[in-house]
Amino acid sequence: MVRFENVGMRYGMGPEVLRDINLHLAPGSFHFLTGPTGAGKSSLLKLLALSHRPSRGLLTLFGQEVNSLKREDLPAFRRKIGVVFQEFRLLNHLSTLDNVALPLRIAGADEEQIYKHVTELLDWVGLGPQVDAKPPTLSGGEKQRVAIARAVINRPQLLIADEPTGSMDPEMGLRLMHLFQELNKLGTTVVIATHDLGLIKRFSNPVLYLKDSTLYSSRSDEYLDQYHRSSL
Amino acid sequence: MIQFFGRSNELQLEKDASSRYLPIVISSMVFLAALALAGLFSIHSAVENWSTAVSGNLTVEIEYEAPRKLDKKVKITVDFLRTFPGVEKVRPLSLEESAKLLEPYLGRADVVKDLPLPRLIEVTIAEGSALDLVATAKKLSDTVPGARLNTHRPWLNKMITLARSVQLLAAAIMFIIGITTVIIVIFAARTGMVMHQEIIEVLHLTGAKDTYIARQFQNYFAKLSFLGALPGLLIAVLVMQILGFLTSQLEASLITAPTMIFEGWIALAMLPFLVALLTMGTVRWIVMGSLKRMM
Ligand SMILES: Nc1ncnc2c1ncn2[C@@H]1O[C@H](COP(=O)(O)OP(=O)(O)OP(=O)(O)O)[C@@H](O)[C@H]1O
Ligand SMILES: [Mg+2]
Repeated sequence: MVRFENVGMRYGMGPEVLRDINLHLAPGSFHFLTGPTGAGKSSLLKLLALSHRPSRGLLTLFGQEVNSLKREDLPAFRRKIGVVFQEFRLLNHLSTLDNVALPLRIAGADEEQIYKHVTELLDWVGLGPQVDAKPPTLSGGEKQRVAIARAVINRPQLLIADEPTGSMDPEMGLRLMHLFQELNKLGTTVVIATHDLGLIKRFSNPVLYLKDSTLYSSRSDEYLDQYHRSSL
Repeated sequence: MIQFFGRSNELQLEKDASSRYLPIVISSMVFLAALALAGLFSIHSAVENWSTAVSGNLTVEIEYEAPRKLDKKVKITVDFLRTFPGVEKVRPLSLEESAKLLEPYLGRADVVKDLPLPRLIEVTIAEGSALDLVATAKKLSDTVPGARLNTHRPWLNKMITLARSVQLLAAAIMFIIGITTVIIVIFAARTGMVMHQEIIEVLHLTGAKDTYIARQFQNYFAKLSFLGALPGLLIAVLVMQILGFLTSQLEASLITAPTMIFEGWIALAMLPFLVALLTMGTVRWIVMGSLKRMM
């Protein structure tokens, strides 16, 4: 599904914010991605979202090396990836419904189907009453749920979420984690960036952590042990 | 047409104020273009009329006198003209021929024939000859009193040259207007892209093809151009009607006042569509070009 081989990444001419990343994500896996602020979590997710190119190394997505892809093939790849951005990136002048419908419209789905699916999903994430509201009038947690709904509406094969439950109460956070789990059971590969140790503890999925610009992986209990030992 | 002018779904370009100036600018551009185009077409048809007028031969007219004297004068004139280098052919018209020419104005030729008509002599000048018509005309009337050589040919030639230069100027103006319009549209499209950079990025990362994004821009701007072109064209047509009315009051006898031909009206009617197409193509080119810079 996803393979990084000695991948490095930099912004423009700046220093490498990620280096020597080696990683393999099996189809249907569910990982947490963590690390201190500024460690490069969002940057790693940008590589996965096909919004940045690696500056070196090989990144393989869905069996294709990214740098060898033709530009006109990229949209088809991106449609298989759902992204929850850390800063949501909702379109402020569109209603909640139209924001969530965006991936379906872009993929050319039929309007009737779009309406049905979108309202169903919005009800499920508790935004039924807000279908016509515009993002600026929503609370932080509500915006986050709109962003999540938009990322999953297309049943993506790869779901990446950057701090998706940071702005909501724990109960709603758990509800959305269960949504991710459901999708994962249906075959979606999931990567979630988070600072929330409670979440890591509770769901005990394997943990990828960034330290000194490079990536390590471990089981969640090992990671938590290590974390507690180093902070003592 | 609906597809052609489709709404810009996600970008909602109609809600931003930055491009509202575009119809006004396009309107003035179309106004100028329409006038230039009208000038081009009407001068073209005028020149054509004048050209047929001058490509005919020169004529010498000899005032009426007693028929015998007149015949003599005709003979002298013919002999006199034949001595000029550059004169290819001199042919006196018979009385019947002259009467025939006047028939449309004066009535049946056999009646006209008996009127005190001037005698006409047809003179063909060799092509490219440097005959000084004005001097020749003077010499002729000195030699044969009552003989008069028509000399509007060089004058018409000058008019034609002038008209051709005006035509060239009109074409150049059209060209400049086209270029200016393209530049204005480029700036409008660039501004639009900068203002909507974030939305464009989201669309792009959600898997939108470049054409999907470009279409929203190009349709919206084409619509603005089209709607801006209509009032510009309307005002131009009004101005042309007023000008046409004023020249018709002038009663220019020799040359026909420039009038628009049918093709000219068609060209004018196509102007808004052409401007919309030009805008659409330009915007597409700009948007696709800058999208290429994203991964
Ligand atoms: N667009 C950018 N241009 C230049 N440098 C950037 C850009 N985005 C991030 N960086 C730098 O890259 C490094 C990693 O940033 P990144 O946003 O990936 O961290 P993060 O782990 O997501 O942090 P946080 O937990 O605060 O979200 C930081 O040093 C940051 O300054
Ligand atoms: Mg981040």
